[in-house]
Amino acid sequence: MTIHKKLMQLSAASLAVITGFALTPTKAVAEDVEVLLFSMPFTRALAELEADFEAKTGLTAKIDVIGQDVFENRITLSFTGKTGDLDVVHAPVIQLQRWVKAGWLRPITAETAAMATKDDILAGPLDSFVVNGEQWGLPFLAGTGMMAYRTDLLSEAGFDEPPATWEEMLTVAAAVKEKGTPALAMRVAPGQGFNMFVYPQIMRAYGGKFFADYPTDLTPSMNTPEGLQGLEVYSKLMNDYGPEGIGNFNFGEVTAAMQSGQVAMIIDESGLIAQTLDPEKSQFADKISIAAVPSGPAGRSPAIAVHGLGIPADAPNAEASFKFIEWATSEETLTKIAISAGFADFTRASVADNSDVTERFKSIHPDFLSLRVQMLNDAIGHYRPLIPQWPQIGQAVGENINAAVNGIMSNQEALEAADEEIANILAE
Amino acid sequence: MPKARTGPKQIIGVTMMLAFVGFTLLPIIWALILSFRPTTHLFEPIWESPTFLTLDNFNTLARSDFPIALFNSLVTAGSSTVLAMIIGVPAGFALAKGRSHRKFIASWALLLLRMAPPVGFVIPLFLIYLNIGLLDTWAGLIAAYMVLTLPLVVWSSWTSLAQIPDELIEASLLDGATLFQTLIKVVLPAARPGIVATAVLAFLIAWNDFFFALIITRSSTVTAPVSVMNFVSYASVDWGSIALASVVLTLPTVPVIIFANKYIVQSMGGAVKG
Repeated sequence: MTIHKKLMQLSAASLAVITGFALTPTKAVAEDVEVLLFSMPFTRALAELEADFEAKTGLTAKIDVIGQDVFENRITLSFTGKTGDLDVVHAPVIQLQRWVKAGWLRPITAETAAMATKDDILAGPLDSFVVNGEQWGLPFLAGTGMMAYRTDLLSEAGFDEPPATWEEMLTVAAAVKEKGTPALAMRVAPGQGFNMFVYPQIMRAYGGKFFADYPTDLTPSMNTPEGLQGLEVYSKLMNDYGPEGIGNFNFGEVTAAMQSGQVAMIIDESGLIAQTLDPEKSQFADKISIAAVPSGPAGRSPAIAVHGLGIPADAPNAEASFKFIEWATSEETLTKIAISAGFADFTRASVADNSDVTERFKSIHPDFLSLRVQMLNDAIGHYRPLIPQWPQIGQAVGENINAAVNGIMSNQEALEAADEEIANILAE
Repeated sequence: MPKARTGPKQIIGVTMMLAFVGFTLLPIIWALILSFRPTTHLFEPIWESPTFLTLDNFNTLARSDFPIALFNSLVTAGSSTVLAMIIGVPAGFALAKGRSHRKFIASWALLLLRMAPPVGFVIPLFLIYLNIGLLDTWAGLIAAYMVLTLPLVVWSSWTSLAQIPDELIEASLLDGATLFQTLIKVVLPAARPGIVATAVLAFLIAWNDFFFALIITRSSTVTAPVSVMNFVSYASVDWGSIALASVVLTLPTVPVIIFANKYIVQSMGGAVKG
């Protein structure tokens, strides 16, 4: 036998070993309902209540809670690959239009209409899951914009009250910075869920808008005198009065800056604002208070983010899926999580009326729940336009706004570029 | 015994080396410090509050899915390395010592596999796995890692084994050893530095992989690098756990590198003389 033949035999034997190994699946036995959520206080707390779902319905559930970036990749692969391995998915409203247009979700209109407790769900968050007249999900989270501020630092700078308008913010920020502490931190990192979650609060307060007349006329209209004024205020606040490195701050850095005393004010999502009031996470919790998002010449426009649960189009058992959604968004579950996790962004009116919940939030801040309701009432549903192309547009515009704050282009150039990119994306 | 040199050139050289080592180790030292810092003091310099230390991050990490993910990483990186060595080293031996006229094609095929971006493999693999039920399985991930490691092992062992003198192999065969015995008892010991270095590199490629695991694992077989990303959530980033997980993820590679260090150095210098 030649060397060549012997080597071939040796390689073939090795290949047989690995083939045998590779064909031995190790996958776990599937549950009745497979749920994929991305990590946030509510979803982490929900995962711990799996046994409650089983006790209530007799069905078993496997709730996977993963990082947001990992979620985005997995969900896209599952949807596009039509894997049929998920029964319930986390559905942020901001992605809803795109998912519905792509046919990735199953409508739950009839099931929702038949719910006995439907009217208890806050109307705004519930309606945000309506696309083309169909209901595509039920909300579990409605977050909104809020301000957290250091009472001691503002007082040292000569202010007993937080700024009520963006013009006042410029004055207060200058005085606080003068005393040696960076005044204000907001998200600047580019992204539809990053700087484009907070920046429209200033843009809209000055009368700026994304489109000429949403939703009837989608002509890009960011480059207006009002829009420019809003961007100038945002750029000035971040560059002149923000902490070092603000040009790349995201929600994590913004919250951490407030918790560690590196900044006097932040404006961010209500759930994050609650974390700055938590003494276990925040060094200066006892010196932090909360306030409304400042208003402008065109009024106040707090940010709004709604998240819910939906059913993938290829989910094998839609009835079991809806039972899970109904349980996860029920008054009982939301109340439990509001109390156990200090979850403030609940979506049922009855939860806010629960005495245990009100007591829980009084210990965080006496005005927290009422301020949240006020901000939700002031917020507009299409704060970020509800169109299928928004994730793409939000990313592109976010990069231009970030470039303006970081001095890579002027404010005017950034808005011109933003309008151009929006037009290109809509034309695709 | 050569005299120790302490001239200005040596002092500058050592200073530059220490500066470079300090620079490269800085992220690991920083992560180590963050691992012991409470959430409230994470972003404060350690010298401002050196006594604010906690073991909370260890509890958080222990209660998370990270330990299981670490075990998954160990199983998949270890298995794919062993299997790649079992298949790749004989293949490298065949290419180094066989008399095939198609070596040129083999070398180009291997280079192509090494140069192709992982995304070129992962989508077809995802679709195939979806149909044959290998998504989220150890076996699927191990086979996927071999797409990365096998070309490296074949190429690297080809280079190492080519340095073994033909006379050594012929002598072994003349003495009555089979080809398999010759490979195991004569060739591999002589080429040990190159083979060990190859195995270490193959293990590290699989151990540090993020992309393949992100696409073809789910909850059951998620690996440690992907699991670290699960500490980045919608409403917060658990920097303490991320720092500790990064340190833990680095630890298993340290004994491997220490054990294999002399072989790696030898393999770089060319250990076998003809």
